[in-house]
Amino acid sequence: MADMWVEESQLSTEEIPVSSEKLSDLARRRRLRVGLTLLLAAAALAAVFFNVWASGAGLLYLYQQAQTFVTIFLGIFVEAVPFLLAGSLVSGLIAVFVDQSAIDRYLPKSALPGALVGATLGVVFPVCECGVVPVVRRLYEKGLPLSIGVAFLLAAPVVNPIVILSTYSAFGWGSIFVGRVLFSFLIAVVVALLFSRARPDELLRPVVFRAHHDACCNAHSHSPPTHSARDPLPGVALLEQRLTRSFNLAGDDFLEMARFLVVGSLLAAAMQTVVPQSALLSVGQGPVVSVLVMQALAFILSVCSTVDAFLALAFAGTFTTGSVLAFLVFGPMVDIKSSLMFLSIFPRRAVAYLILLPLMLALLMGIGWNLNLGW
Amino acid sequence: MALFTRPRFQQAVKALTLLGLALFLYTRLADGTLFFYINQRFLAYTVFAVVAALLIAASYRPGAAQPAAQSHANLTLGGLLWVLLPIGLGLLFPPQPLGAAALGNRELTLTPSQRSVLPAAVRAAAQKSAAERTVLDWLHAFSASSDPAQEFAGQPVDVVGFVYHDPRLPEGKLLVNRFTVSCCVADASPVSLVVQWADAATLANDSWVQVQGVLQPGEFNGRPLPVVVARRVDRVEQPAQPYLYP
Repeated sequence: MADMWVEESQLSTEEIPVSSEKLSDLARRRRLRVGLTLLLAAAALAAVFFNVWASGAGLLYLYQQAQTFVTIFLGIFVEAVPFLLAGSLVSGLIAVFVDQSAIDRYLPKSALPGALVGATLGVVFPVCECGVVPVVRRLYEKGLPLSIGVAFLLAAPVVNPIVILSTYSAFGWGSIFVGRVLFSFLIAVVVALLFSRARPDELLRPVVFRAHHDACCNAHSHSPPTHSARDPLPGVALLEQRLTRSFNLAGDDFLEMARFLVVGSLLAAAMQTVVPQSALLSVGQGPVVSVLVMQALAFILSVCSTVDAFLALAFAGTFTTGSVLAFLVFGPMVDIKSSLMFLSIFPRRAVAYLILLPLMLALLMGIGWNLNLGW
Repeated sequence: MALFTRPRFQQAVKALTLLGLALFLYTRLADGTLFFYINQRFLAYTVFAVVAALLIAASYRPGAAQPAAQSHANLTLGGLLWVLLPIGLGLLFPPQPLGAAALGNRELTLTPSQRSVLPAAVRAAAQKSAAERTVLDWLHAFSASSDPAQEFAGQPVDVVGFVYHDPRLPEGKLLVNRFTVSCCVADASPVSLVVQWADAATLANDSWVQVQGVLQPGEFNGRPLPVVVARRVDRVEQPAQPYLYP
């Protein structure tokens, strides 16, 4: 699985080719990419099949395992598609209707206020971890400061009215409810502050960075920006045409991100078919190991943040409070499918940090909670 | 490849892909098999997805707008294949709910552990008469008791579920199971009752049965729990809604 991860991320962070490249070279690279993609899909299926085969079971059992794999894969996909579509539609509307000078004017540029504002934006845009990705990418292309985007990306799946409500109805008023919202907010702010130390060109994929740069930093230059960022549609005034354009852009966003969603759902479904859940759950009850186990579970399950509170409830009696909290805080920020979708905004190295930093912070939080407050 | 990157062709491919996705979701919705994948409460979201996909597909119609100039827009052949993969797999494998094959690597839930459950669900289960209780209701009822094996002895049971022969069970016993799904099948977890039935071996894994009988004290894997001593076991059709919602 680890190999596949690396391969896929190489595929998806492909740079938009520089102008000096020959066309034939382009075609070759595209063929290579298609070939690798197919190979990858075959490898994913083969891994599942082989695992069953190795256990010495018959053909029928093999078919049933494949059926289980497909059902779980489609379950994750079908459940996430509406949210990704909604996020893409918002992204398309932002592209056409939001004037980027508004972002200049109303949002703070320095790191700390930016991170604080970003982490609360979810209250205005209630999105889950699938829907937030296209929105953040579009906002970056409109020149959104980096720290706001990162904080929004990480916090919005929890710090929004829908998820707060579902957490409340599952756990009621109490330490888990308060802890989830508070720590999601804090961890998002801390990670955003760390990211604000880096340069935008290190943190964004080249194609996103160019648009971001044109929007935020060329405002006073005399050469016209290449992406006509000031007024997205200079000649087009009609509402209907603008709407059509925003739907077009939404479709482009969706079709591009759906690829990452599919790969993420495939991986999550493969893990669930192959890795015995009971093995994971029986590993540890200690104050440290239990937190790691629940984080691993959150990452593998890839359940949408709008409902994971009900799922976590099932573990609340048997697992330490700190570990359940880590599940509820870490899962919405990063899981298999969302971290693959991050690759459409960030290069691989930045995505690695986006996974590792919340992982470490949520781990510290979980352990600290277990040791100080008992379990 | 030159054809593939031509704007008009791109528009058409994108529209058809979205149309295909909408159609796929709609057919699953129309024949009820959508609920093999997700919890009923997400129905509205899927309806929204169908409408949104159709709207976006329509926006690509020729002449509606200039092809988008901002270009992470071009769909490659590889990208297209990924997006079509769910539809392909969905058509290749006819829709089926999770069954015994998925039980192998999941934690069975049949002992009344200290696991916390929604208090409302436990109360609701307690109010139902014994004959109305599902497998999940029975487990909720067990969890409210300190010694369910004794407390529930003698109560009549009438439940529907699918058969699973756990390797830890002796001959003449089987598990009758349902999956509970709170969001989508990714979080499916099974609830099970041990059933004592002389002809247990004649029932294959995954066959759906209605079990009628009486609870008696018994054990599974060394832990005491109520066991259904079956009076009759009938094969039934797979229910339209195979999962239970916690």
